[in-house]
This record gives sequence, C-alpha cells and structure tokens, in this order.
Amino acid sequence: MAKIDEVKEQVIIGKTKIVPGLVQEALNEGSAAKDILQAMIDGMKIVGDRFSAGEIYVPEMLIAAKAMSKGVEVLKPMLSAEASTSLGTCIIGTVEGDLHDIGKNLVNMMIGSAGFDMVDLGVDQAPNKFIEAIKNNKNVKLVACSALLTTTLPALKKTVDAIKETGLSGFKIIVGGAPVTQKFADEIGADGYAPDAGAAAEKAKSIIAA
Amino acid sequence: MLTKRQNLLETIRGGNPDRFVNQYEAFDCSPSSPFGMLMGDPISAASAMPAPGGAPAKDAWGVTRAWPANVPGAFPVHDEAHKVLKDIAKWEKIVKAPTLDYPQSEWDKYKPKIAEVDKNEVFVTLFGAPGIFEQIHYLMGMDDSLIAFYEEPEAMKELINYVTEWKLGYAKLLCDNFAPEVIFQHDDWGSHRSSFLSPDMFEEFFLEPYKKWYGYYKGRGVQLVVHHNDAYSANLVPFMIEMKMDIWQGCVSTNNVPELIKKYGSKISFMGDIDNGLVDRGDWNQELVAKHVRRACEENGKHYFIPCITQGGKGAVFDGVYDAITVEIEKMSKEMF
Repeated sequence: MAKIDEVKEQVIIGKTKIVPGLVQEALNEGSAAKDILQAMIDGMKIVGDRFSAGEIYVPEMLIAAKAMSKGVEVLKPMLSAEASTSLGTCIIGTVEGDLHDIGKNLVNMMIGSAGFDMVDLGVDQAPNKFIEAIKNNKNVKLVACSALLTTTLPALKKTVDAIKETGLSGFKIIVGGAPVTQKFADEIGADGYAPDAGAAAEKAKSIIAA
Repeated sequence: MLTKRQNLLETIRGGNPDRFVNQYEAFDCSPSSPFGMLMGDPISAASAMPAPGGAPAKDAWGVTRAWPANVPGAFPVHDEAHKVLKDIAKWEKIVKAPTLDYPQSEWDKYKPKIAEVDKNEVFVTLFGAPGIFEQIHYLMGMDDSLIAFYEEPEAMKELINYVTEWKLGYAKLLCDNFAPEVIFQHDDWGSHRSSFLSPDMFEEFFLEPYKKWYGYYKGRGVQLVVHHNDAYSANLVPFMIEMKMDIWQGCVSTNNVPELIKKYGSKISFMGDIDNGLVDRGDWNQELVAKHVRRACEENGKHYFIPCITQGGKGAVFDGVYDAITVEIEKMSKEMF
C-alpha cells in the first residue's frame, strides 16, 4: 500500500500519533502535499458517512479529525507554497441565547476537514457577530448557524434575516441543530440544511458548487 | 382509585394501573421545590448555581455555569479561561471534589421538608444532577473528554472512579439523613440521534461505576432509580437494566419507545416519548399537544410506560405546555382505561 493510502486509512481510524509520520513518509515518497491533503479529506468523508449511518460515534469522529489536523500541520509549510486548496472560508457559530457547542464543534471539524478554512465564532452569537465576521474575513463562501433549542429557533431566523438584509453576497447560509428541519430551513430562507455533522460537510461542498 | 404511587408501581410492574401515570405526578413531592422534587442539602447548598437569566456562577467543583433566559437549564462554560481540566494527565492535581463534611445540624435543616411529604400519595423523591458522565465533561469540555476516552483511557478511568467515589459518599449521607424512596438522577448520554459513546465504550467506562452507585442506593432501601437522559440511547438499554435503573425518563421518540417496551418492558420502564422539541414551542396549541399525547399513549400502551414531557423535571420552557400535556393525558386515561 502506498504511503498516501496509509495516511487515509490511519486518519479514518484516528491514529493521531501515527499520521504525522506517515504524512512525512508520503512526502518523501514523492506525493504532492495537496494530494496527501485530498487523501485525508477523502478519509474524513468516509468518517462522516459512517457517522451519518450510525456506524461510529462522536469520539471516533473527533479522534479522526484530530489525526487529520496533525497531518495537516506537517503539510502546512508545503501547502502555503502551493496553489490554494481551500474551498473558501466558512463562518460558523451557535445563535444568540444558545450555549450548545457539541454539534457546532462537530460540524466545524467536519466542514474544516472537507477543505474549508473555518472561523468559529463560538456559542451565543448575536446576528451582528456573524455579519462582522462575514465582512472581516476573506473569501467567505459559507455561513453555518446552529441552534439546539426550540426557544432559539427564532434567533436562527433572526440571524438569517439579518445577514440577508445586509445585501452581502458571495456565500451561502446553512442551518442545523436538533429542532431544525428542512422545512424550517426553507421557511426562514436558509440556503441549506443538514441533519448531522457528516451530512453537513457534504452539504457545504455541494451548496457552494451549485 | 389507586394513589399516585400505587398507580406508578402497578404500571411499571405490569399490574393493574387504573389510569396513566400523569407525567411527574408520583414524584411531585415538594411543592415549594424546583420541579417539585426534593433537592436541598448542605453539599448542594455550598455549590453556586446561576439563576435563569442571571450571571454565570462557579460551582463547588470549579465549573462555571451560565443559564441564559428561556432555556431549560444551566450550561457549563468551556472557553479557555473557564475550562477546569485542560490536561487529563494532571487530573489528580487539578480536580478537587467538594467537601462532604458538614455538621449534623446542617443536615437537620433540610429534614422538615422530607417530613412534609405525603408518603401515602407520592414518593420521597430526591433530585440529583449532574451524573458521572456529565461531571466529567463539565470539568473537561465535551470535545476534550470524548477524545480522552481514546487517548488517555487509564487517566479517564481514574477520574471517573474519583467522581464515583465522591458520589457514593454523597449517596451515603443522603440515605443516612433523608431515607429517599426515589432517586431522580440526571445524566445525558447522547444527542437526539445517537449516544455519545458506542455501547462498547459506554460499557468499558461507565457500566461498573453506575452499577456501584445505583446498586448502593438499592442496598440502602431506595425503591426506584429514575434516570433522566433526553437523548437517543436505545442501544444502551441493556446496560441501564444491568445498573438497576427502574425508569428511563426522557426517552425521546427517536428511540422508538414502543419497540423498547416490547423488548425490555418487564425489566425497565420508559417515561417520556412526548418530545420537548415537538410540543414545547412558541407556536404550540392544545391540538398539537393532543396529537402527540394521543400517539404516545396509543402506541406505548398501559404497562411499562409513563407519558411525559421529555425534559428532566416538571414544567416546560413555554408557559402552559406542561399543563396542556397533563390535560391530554387525563383525557387518554378516560378513553383507554
């Protein structure tokens, strides 16, 4: 098995200590940094699919994402010298009044693992915080808003409305969280919805390509 | 007509209940307490809790919690400035359990409330939170703790054991002083779609601690252990049975509660299946509540099931929702019994 394939396999099973060395070996074998990165992204897609299917659980997804980030650290000097492989910047946060961060953090990792540069605003973020982040960051392609409570669904709508009212463009808005449905996402004018972190990464990629 | 406690026992033992147990009615033993359950003691009194909508507060473990207005409960704050345990390898130096050492006079202050409970009608029910799993991620943050199960399993087991031993010491004092009949213990083990841990990992880290803890209560005469967990955890039910849980409260509809009752009903009962997410909404109305209560009652039936809002205590986020559910359950009792 080529080292680049081993990198992918070890990311999938979350070998945080092994992946950095394998990445270096893959580079030594002649693989390009962007190809190694793509192999890890492909591995994380498999992780996301397995999570969506209920085959693995949150710790397995977290440890895989951590393994990938360790591998990316090795690649960083080379990636900055090569042409950009980023899919763009994604602003992510939990809406005002909501302190839930687990789902948001998972989505953050999975969208980041899919190739986006992530700007994580954290929890309990007012609409103007999302707007400021859109204005203050380059190449924003995606805004991801999370809410986990029925009481904060109105804040999700308020956030989407506020972003749209600014007239800022060039990005899509996706929403998610336990009480959020496709129907609700449509009602509040979001561009996309995903039911879990694995699906969110796929939705992120497809929605910016549409 | 059976008393509320008799009716609950008939329900969970597959006997002859004369109506549905209506949500928390059999545990609603202390009208002046939050959620209607007993929750005062010297140890909890020494641990600051934020008020709903008030400023964040640091509890006796050092965990800062915030409680924004209009949400069901307080949340631990886990930014870098507030996280208690940033490196699991250093847990012995960092984590200091609150003292359990209080004079008897402090315990005696809380006994009048116990004496006021109408034990013919309802159970002497003690409310407890957080559970062992929650205590761990309150200290570490969820992401760090879930990763540590893989990266530092031995240290995690040591920390879990430390927390469990503290909880056993606390349980002894509660039993010595209050002689509870029911323990209502919080510990959320998943999201609404999946358990946080795989069944194998849950078994490895949490089954024995919970067997010790809940087993201790049973050995001290506690009749029922009721565990709140408003998450998907259908894959953990065999462990719930093994740890001597009598009632799983908070079982959300994604668990397919009717199937769980068929499979496990004689060994454990299920309390919930009326999801906050479906009925506890700003746009709720009686018709919506009636629809969900009817479904829950008809699909789950009269035995091993208590129709209830899934949140972990009497009440709801939106005014009127809890009472509306109560009214609809009464209607279903008249129709089905």
